[in-house]
Amino acid sequence: MEKMTEQQFRTIGNMLRKRSLWMLHYCTGCGSMELPAVGTSRYDMERFGVVPYITPRQADILLVTGYVNTKTLRRIVTVYEQMLDPKYVVGFGSCPINGGVYWDSYAVIKQLDRYIPVDLYIAGCMPRPEAIITGFMHLMELIDKGKATGYKRYKENLEYYKENQRKVLE
Amino acid sequence: MNILDRIKQLNITKVNVQRENRIFVDTEKDKLISVLYGMKLIGFNQLSIMSAVDRIKDNEFELFYVLYNYKEKVNAIVRTRIPRDNPVIETADKIYPPAHTYERELTEMFGISVSGNPDSGKPFILENWKDKPPMRKDFDSVEYVDKHFVFRNPEGKNE
Repeated sequence: MEKMTEQQFRTIGNMLRKRSLWMLHYCTGCGSMELPAVGTSRYDMERFGVVPYITPRQADILLVTGYVNTKTLRRIVTVYEQMLDPKYVVGFGSCPINGGVYWDSYAVIKQLDRYIPVDLYIAGCMPRPEAIITGFMHLMELIDKGKATGYKRYKENLEYYKENQRKVLE
Repeated sequence: MNILDRIKQLNITKVNVQRENRIFVDTEKDKLISVLYGMKLIGFNQLSIMSAVDRIKDNEFELFYVLYNYKEKVNAIVRTRIPRDNPVIETADKIYPPAHTYERELTEMFGISVSGNPDSGKPFILENWKDKPPMRKDFDSVEYVDKHFVFRNPEGKNE
């Protein structure tokens, strides 16, 4: 039998990986309200292999639902660093994108991707369950093509992320 | 004797019944603790919330304690004013234990120090806060945001 190349190995890995995404939902804001609808029988995200999970060690996706305080950011960074590779971050709602309605708040950070690498944003306030499922499908596509490389970016640009984190947290 | 008459017997400045079951009680800073104690004796057993308002035009803080009487089903709001420069109040946590936590929040958000409360001044909600207390009216939130956070470029080209 011919030996498998590394590229082929990765392709098969990605193909299998995208069908079994375990999701850690970090529910900070109002976004968590949409998740029961997505998870239960009406929309049923388990059809696509997305399952809510409870520990960072076993999860693949970190779902940040809603605004992120400076105080919450410290916990999010800890949770993100606890997760095992490969890991993907999904920003959910308009608040992690640009602050949303909290644009002038002293406690809320304005761009999540300055502090941890975000693979995908689901825009909306709030996104409907259909939008969430479309977002997950899009993430699967990215994983399949090998484009969801947030965890690699975090390792390569660790200085940049750590400096930004230090600016708000210390 | 109804509840209003019993409140009027306390050592207070003004009683104002704005609508049914909502009594505003104004008092002075020195008599605040004795008034609260009297209110508890009358039957106002619950401290629902306690906080402050920054009356920056008068250069004063307005403190308020929202109390509730379960027997008569009456709300009473005890209010007092303290000077804005170097504000110090006395703790009420011996009378109403929930005041302990509210006072910690008061110290952090308004910079009002509470004597008699050992936890006043300990970090509570904000972590590593070095600026002015954020609930004061002269704290400029937009200026703080501009200094500490970076907004996303609307064209989508970020750095």
